[in-house]
Amino acid sequence: MMDHESEIRQFIADQFLFGDIRPLSPEESLLEAGIIDSTGVLELLSYLEDHFGIKVQDEELLPENLDTIGNICRFLDQKLA
Amino acid sequence: MLTSRGLIHRFLEESAARLPDKLALVDERKRLTYSQINRQSNQVAHGLIQAGVRPGDQVVLLCENSAEYVSGYYGILKSGGIAVPLNTEWKPDGLARLLDGLEPKVFLASSRLEETVRSLESVRARMGRVFLVPRRPSSPDPALPGPSGGLSFSAQPEGNPDLDIGPGSCAMIVFTSGSEGIPKGVMLSHANIVANTRAIIEYLELTLRDVQMVVLPFHYVMGKSLLNTHFAAGGAVVLNNRFAYTASVLKQMAAENVTGFSGVPSTYAQLLFRSPLAKYRDSLPALRYCTQAGGHMPRPIKQDLLRILPAHTRLVIMYGATEASARLAYLPPDRLAGKLDSIGIPIAGVTMEVLSPDGRTLGPGQVGELVARGDNIMLGYYHDEEATRKVLDHRGYHTGDLGYVDEDGFFFVTGRKDEQVKIKGHRVSLRGVEDAVVESGLAMECLAFAVPDVYQSLVVAAVAVPIREAPDNAVRITDYCRAKLPDYLVPRPLLLVDAIPKTSNGKPDRSGAFDLFRSRLGLGGKSGLSGIPT
Repeated sequence: MMDHESEIRQFIADQFLFGDIRPLSPEESLLEAGIIDSTGVLELLSYLEDHFGIKVQDEELLPENLDTIGNICRFLDQKLA
Repeated sequence: MLTSRGLIHRFLEESAARLPDKLALVDERKRLTYSQINRQSNQVAHGLIQAGVRPGDQVVLLCENSAEYVSGYYGILKSGGIAVPLNTEWKPDGLARLLDGLEPKVFLASSRLEETVRSLESVRARMGRVFLVPRRPSSPDPALPGPSGGLSFSAQPEGNPDLDIGPGSCAMIVFTSGSEGIPKGVMLSHANIVANTRAIIEYLELTLRDVQMVVLPFHYVMGKSLLNTHFAAGGAVVLNNRFAYTASVLKQMAAENVTGFSGVPSTYAQLLFRSPLAKYRDSLPALRYCTQAGGHMPRPIKQDLLRILPAHTRLVIMYGATEASARLAYLPPDRLAGKLDSIGIPIAGVTMEVLSPDGRTLGPGQVGELVARGDNIMLGYYHDEEATRKVLDHRGYHTGDLGYVDEDGFFFVTGRKDEQVKIKGHRVSLRGVEDAVVESGLAMECLAFAVPDVYQSLVVAAVAVPIREAPDNAVRITDYCRAKLPDYLVPRPLLLVDAIPKTSNGKPDRSGAFDLFRSRLGLGGKSGLSGIPT
């Protein structure tokens, strides 16, 4: 179990699913599932930076880092390590 | 060499004949040549014909940017059908409402949107048959059974159907974004699109060496023009549906030696402030130009782009409307520095003039409505003669944009006719407010609203996205506006947000932004606007 998964899931549920908890697989593309869009990615970034005190660099704006719950958790672990 | 005989799909057929093995399209790991795409489109066309589509029948296309979209689009045109591409981001309710006004014979959807299609069960029976766009020409039986049985696209012949289709006949119904109300169905003929495609190729000097990065949706008329122009010129398009992750787009632009990039104002705000564009300056040697259309882009964004884009990359500001098949005017890049706020000069085959409310042609410097004529102007709005009469007459297409022409023949847009508001007795356009906020150098985007205060008189309020987080952003932006604008135009309150909601075309979603604004102020509910504390 990844460290921050439940927090990230909660944020996504509150911010994008309006509390509607649907089963999201950790490797499901948030973009393709229509859960986030460009605006959503910016909100996600802002949340990660404020909540975890990290700085996401522009060149890190990649689906590999941000497009699935699993990717976000791995990216966070890396940034916080 | 572009002898298209007036039909949009002839562009593809000619490129397939002339350059059969040339790369035409990159979609994720798929790299397709002109002959592959043409064969696949022909199979769709023959399949549609077998399914009963006859010239003039509507075929709805609900598909994200992909190789499937492209074969679906050309397949519909080749079958003589009218392509009705719909926004893949519309919710089932909105789609159902739009479909109520249409009479589609067949519904082509991508497999990813199957769920959405199924949720439209209620309209399926009335609409005719539903098929999934084939993923590959060789894939086994890609069509899912509709109410009246399945259809195999892969078993269809691969040759051009070569139907006798009139160039003046309706080729597609394109819905306006609906960012300013209910979407209207714009009917465009083959001749409209063909004329516009040729004019765009001319001013962008497109050739078979051009490679376009496409981040705009094809259901949007500007996205579609990228496809039509590059396929006519024999160039290639690279599809990337992940612009939200800007670094991935730049990475692919470098890897594919992209020569052209196109966006709306928000695309460029994001590239400037939320992407590693500056770091890619030396990695984009092939990038000839960037085009911008889809609304007014504030001056500082243009200036920053000129500074940050590679020195060899030209910025082409353009102007148009869905009603004009996309393009009406462009600003030759060598005139950009001297005419930074201009939308440019009419493209080949288009004439534009500025008209007074009583229909007189206005001279240089006088503000009136921009009216355009040309072979690219739409046939009319679908099933809405009243709306058509309002914008089309013997003078041409009335754009609804206010502006003027200067002594050199360059046009300038100052605002929208229907967006003028009266603030404290002054008739104003809120664009000046939005521009001032961005000009402060502290905000990347801004949307201003006129809202009633507690005394029910209109005041200006705004939401803005700060470039960098800083505690004094709001104060500093407000101070800048105070120095630049009359007091009644200084936005109060100015709310800072992470992002401004957008339509799928990337245009600001005014009603979404207003809801955000209200919820931030704790003004719940959507009814009634009053009560903004000042």
